[in-house]
Amino acid sequence: MAPHLSNEEFFSYLTDLLSKTSQKARGSVYLSQKPLIDGVTNAPPSILIRATDGNTNAPNPKSQSKDGKITKKASSKDKIKFSTVVKVDDLEAFYTRYADVCKAGMTGLKKRDRSKRKAKGKGGAAKAAKA
Amino acid sequence: MPYLPTSQAFLEQSAQLLEAYPDTTRITTKYHFPTETPGARAKRSKSQLKKAASTTSETTTTTQNTPAPVASLTLKTYNPTTGIVLQYQTNKIAEVSRLITGLGKLASGADVASLGVSGAAGGGDVEMVDAPAVAEVVPVAAPAANANANAGQGGKGKKKGGKGKR
Repeated sequence: MAPHLSNEEFFSYLTDLLSKTSQKARGSVYLSQKPLIDGVTNAPPSILIRATDGNTNAPNPKSQSKDGKITKKASSKDKIKFSTVVKVDDLEAFYTRYADVCKAGMTGLKKRDRSKRKAKGKGGAAKAAKA
Repeated sequence: MPYLPTSQAFLEQSAQLLEAYPDTTRITTKYHFPTETPGARAKRSKSQLKKAASTTSETTTTTQNTPAPVASLTLKTYNPTTGIVLQYQTNKIAEVSRLITGLGKLASGADVASLGVSGAAGGGDVEMVDAPAVAEVVPVAAPAANANANAGQGGKGKKKGGKGKR
């Protein structure tokens, strides 16, 4: 497994991955977070953050022939995955940045529609109250 | 696999799950575009264009000949040992930053009380019972609430969900 990136590198990779996905308007980006607990110390654990595009480098089991040989290569050989470890002290700064990067990168989501609210008045206002 | 009606409910439940099983629970955020067959794509782009044309406001139709599908964001808190999954799905960019900040709070070990919840914090035992119970109860309420959110009336659903839970 590739070594963890620094937080800075992670953000630049993530920006890249998100913008690429948004541009193509297909595919996914998976982000996961979990605490790194070593079971020894009682200090609050660092957080491991992983990002991937959800592809796999493993060969497709369906293309496996009867004698157990794999006849086809994996359909997507270019799985993107990277990870970083965030120390407890950096958590707040990291997540502020993380939120910004995600907000900037996830352009495929529905934008807040201000013009509609103005034009429609009532119906739009109810929507705006939520957003 | 219940979809929780509001982001707040998701964060609260996740906080409880994390509190109960801090070492095995993980949170996954998935940003994904829908997969479409070419036919479905054509259909959608047609209807979107039609819609854009019918709204005769000054809003210029930013949608080009082939408008992109709307992506969505799914948050999932999963505990493999107990098999508890909590999910929340949205497609609004306005929610992203609040959600991620919430995830940050969860990561730094925030408890339910510090997530800005009105008097929901109870004892540890109560919470451990609570989370699985919700996993069973919510599916009944979730579809209706989800439909609400999708129709852009999330505000209404939010209130309902909040009250029903307490």
